[in-house]
Amino acid sequence: MNILIAITAVGVLAMLSEILNFRRFLYPISLFVMLVALALTGMEWSHGVRYFNDMLYMDNYAVVFTGIMVVTTLLWFMMNENFLNGNPRQADFTAIISFALGGAMVMAGFSDLIMLFLGVEILSISMYVLAASNKSEPRSNEAGFKYFLMGAFASGFLLFGIALVYGATGSFNLREISEFVSENNTDMSAIFYGGVLMIAAGLAFKVAAAPFHFWAPDVYEGSPTPFTAFMSTVVKTAAFAAFLRLFSTCFSEVSTWWSPVLAIMSALSMLVGSIMALRQTSLKRLLAWSGVANAGYMLMAVVSLNEYSDTALVLYAAAYSIASIGIFTLVSNMTNAGNEEISSLHGFSKVNRFPALVITVLMFSIAGIPPLAGFFGKYAIFAGALKDGFVWLAVVAVLSSAISVFYYLKVVVAMFQPAGREAVQLEFNPGQSLVLGLVLVLVVVLGLVPALITTLI
Amino acid sequence: MEQFIWLIPALPLLGFLINGIGNKSVPRGMSGLVASITVLGGFILSVVLFLQLLSDPNLVIQQKLFTWMATSTMEVDFGFMVDRLSVIMLLVITGVGFLIHVYSMGYMHEEPDYARYFAYLNLFVFFMLILVLGSGYLMMFVGWEGVGLCSYLLIGFWFKNNDYNAAASKAFIMNRIGDLGFLLGMFLMLQTFGSLSYDKVISGASTMSVGTPVLTAIALLLFVGAMGKSAQLPLYTWLPDAMAGPTPVSALIHAATMVTAGIYMVVRSNVIYVLAPFASEIVLIVGILTALLAAFVGLKQTDIKKVLAYSTVSQLGLMFVALGLGAYKTALFHVVTHAFFKALLFLCSGSVIHAMGGEQDMRKMGGLKKALPITHLTFLIGTLAITGIPPFAGFFSKDEIMASAFATNGWIFALVCFCALLTAIYMFRLYFLTFHGEFRGSQHQQEHLHESPASMTTPLIVLAILSTIGGFIGMPEIMHAPHLLSRFLKPVTAMAESYTSLHVTHTFEYILLVSSVSILAIVIWFSHRKYAVQKHVPAAPQELSGFQWVLHNKFFVDEFYDAIIVRPLRMVSSLGYRWIEQGFIDGIVNGFGTVATSLSAALRYLQSGAIGFYMIAMVISFIVVFFIQMFL
Repeated sequence: MNILIAITAVGVLAMLSEILNFRRFLYPISLFVMLVALALTGMEWSHGVRYFNDMLYMDNYAVVFTGIMVVTTLLWFMMNENFLNGNPRQADFTAIISFALGGAMVMAGFSDLIMLFLGVEILSISMYVLAASNKSEPRSNEAGFKYFLMGAFASGFLLFGIALVYGATGSFNLREISEFVSENNTDMSAIFYGGVLMIAAGLAFKVAAAPFHFWAPDVYEGSPTPFTAFMSTVVKTAAFAAFLRLFSTCFSEVSTWWSPVLAIMSALSMLVGSIMALRQTSLKRLLAWSGVANAGYMLMAVVSLNEYSDTALVLYAAAYSIASIGIFTLVSNMTNAGNEEISSLHGFSKVNRFPALVITVLMFSIAGIPPLAGFFGKYAIFAGALKDGFVWLAVVAVLSSAISVFYYLKVVVAMFQPAGREAVQLEFNPGQSLVLGLVLVLVVVLGLVPALITTLI
Repeated sequence: MEQFIWLIPALPLLGFLINGIGNKSVPRGMSGLVASITVLGGFILSVVLFLQLLSDPNLVIQQKLFTWMATSTMEVDFGFMVDRLSVIMLLVITGVGFLIHVYSMGYMHEEPDYARYFAYLNLFVFFMLILVLGSGYLMMFVGWEGVGLCSYLLIGFWFKNNDYNAAASKAFIMNRIGDLGFLLGMFLMLQTFGSLSYDKVISGASTMSVGTPVLTAIALLLFVGAMGKSAQLPLYTWLPDAMAGPTPVSALIHAATMVTAGIYMVVRSNVIYVLAPFASEIVLIVGILTALLAAFVGLKQTDIKKVLAYSTVSQLGLMFVALGLGAYKTALFHVVTHAFFKALLFLCSGSVIHAMGGEQDMRKMGGLKKALPITHLTFLIGTLAITGIPPFAGFFSKDEIMASAFATNGWIFALVCFCALLTAIYMFRLYFLTFHGEFRGSQHQQEHLHESPASMTTPLIVLAILSTIGGFIGMPEIMHAPHLLSRFLKPVTAMAESYTSLHVTHTFEYILLVSSVSILAIVIWFSHRKYAVQKHVPAAPQELSGFQWVLHNKFFVDEFYDAIIVRPLRMVSSLGYRWIEQGFIDGIVNGFGTVATSLSAALRYLQSGAIGFYMIAMVISFIVVFFIQMFL
């Protein structure tokens, strides 16, 4: 609860800062409040308090996901020091990002379908605005518009699904729904099943899983890079936290019914994402497609619902968020230099040794090479799928991983090639170097001792 | 004290970081000092630990650092464990290690890459401490691999010489073969006992009956690991080549500590070996064969360090004989005394090489007694200790191995005695050739002969004292003094002792004492007459014939390995490269890539950017999903 207050307080403060004229303090304040929020998150751990008449349940699952998202947002603030400070719309951006984080937190901790919908909407509306925030850039406008139209469409699916589930079970509360389902799991009405399917489609849109992924590459590419970074980390983590929370608490009794269709979506996402990423020459668009493929991997955790799904998803989401934030530090510098092409990275390692090293390690991690964090995330998820009997899905996942190694390493190879004519000078400010140092440590430490995070749940 | 155990390995690690990161910006005087002081700190902490363990016979300090991974069927932790066995190893590693660090400051003073040398040396001490401090086989393996790495780095320290690089690679690869055995042994343990921690493995094993096949398999696999690290047949050939490294490294890593890791491992797993008599027999046979073969080869070597290297292999073989006989405490006793006198001998040879300006061939030495008085005296003590003359340290431990052999099997006893005789022959040959007779080197070398500086001679003196009195920790029964080491180690080997009884009569011990001393006296007299009085010099290699020629060429083992392993492997690999790699695998991979990229080209048309199409696609997808789910 206090976390939610702290996070939204940043938003309110940010808006006040324009009126009361203390914008120059806003950046340190937001960093400080994020640290406070992290501490508050830690204090919630293992208490399992239910707030607002059981609308929000801060169990360890919610706490760990909130922790990951708060850390990611903190890193996000650190990497965007230059972008935010001095920007005339710094207050707007800080406020909207804070509200989005608040929505994300609600999505990790909801215990009522209304809360789920509220969380999704708070997060999504914030992101629509941010995607379109570069008003002078047509691509940004297009991205915002596309995201908004299609997102509204998907919210319609979600809301309709929630209504159908309410109609079938008579409750919005997760505990009551799950009790109802386990009592009547043999003779649930078709309305209920239709509702589950529509919720699945709505959430699949939010996580950008195929075939509901069409918006993702265009929106990721068109949005200003800092917000793309936020989308591919916090938004994705929140959407998956909600997905798994809902399906594992409420619908696990009927999982045999819905898991095949989610398995197909998962396989499709992995293949489409990986195959499309192969041809991309822009790093930002490549990451967008890799985001689709990663949505497929994470969806496997929902498909193969077992007692390790939570830990597997947490590990994967943490590894993915950390690596993405690090890589987007590079991309945002490339955007500033006006060239997002991979080929513009030639000669990068000569000038920026440390960033090149970190990005290489991150690419290795995200490609799933041991002993880095990404490997254990993938391992946990693949092992879960095998355990649940989805052998074919695991085979597809391994194949798609093999393809993904190619395009991740393409970036690494480019960095270590001799400089050509296209080469651009990139500069990393101290905050960004610190972010890179931190993510390097996190990726290595989580790889050596995954138990640090998996034992928290 | 318990909460400070982590400091023991952390100190050398700190030294490594200072010297490794600072490298050439660390002042020369500082890097050696930092390296030595961190090891000294470890030694002081080990002494405190030792005193604590001494006062409480049942004390075993266990400290869990973190769980590496845990599943329902197994749990693997990282943690420290200090018991009476590990504390003895700690004392030897940090104590002898410290002396060798001090010696290195003098020996390496002309070396431009001073800081790198000490960084590696500190890193080695760190990993060696991890090896003995671990609470389970996994941690042992981490240290095991780490010391292997440091050994590789230090053998190839002068990496500009390609022969040295080859020697380093050889050591690394040979050890890798052994490590595979260790690794398989660990997997088997994990499957059998569900854990790799010593207490769980030991308690699990002790409930099994004698000769359980899985225990025999584990014991044999672990022993393969020990063969690599402790240079036993057939994986011993790397150790003589490892002498390419700086001499203090040979003393520390390839004589006193790292190569005894295999013995430590077997003593640590003694319960498994006691319950696997077949594996113990293999250990015994491999040990005695190695001891004899290496001793024979040592007879005809002319390089001063090579003789000592073969002598190390031979002594390690004797330790494995003791292990195979079930005399675990005796093996450890010999590890300790061997660490003293072999480190001493190597450091003395370093002092000689230093004085001779890098010359290692004994045929060019002689008469160094006058120029190097301290080195001469300490070397003599080391020689007396290794050959087993009372009351020097080697006598007590070797006597114990002989007694254990006599109590078990007459043949083994005879072979061990023969091996001891060979040891005496090559050691006194080495001693008289180097220090007696006339100087055979060049005029230039003769003018520059000098005793080494105090930083080098002080460690020699300390080690000489230890080699003299070190044996008193394990007096035989007839001396009517307590066997301190045996008493101290009782809790570790209690189970093994209930299975094997190695007791000999007092009469036998007297006979052994008198006969060994008199035989050794004859050997000394012969060597003295041949090399000091008659001034016999070993012939050049091309003049050798028959068995001597075979011995000088080390039984052609290297050539044999080259013919049956290296060359066929090269052939298979070049065939594989041409047909399988380039033809088959590349074809598949490229084909896979071509298919994926062309698919990607086709799929691109779907991503048109038109929002209307996207929404239609979503709706159609949902309808398809809906129909499949609801109606099929």
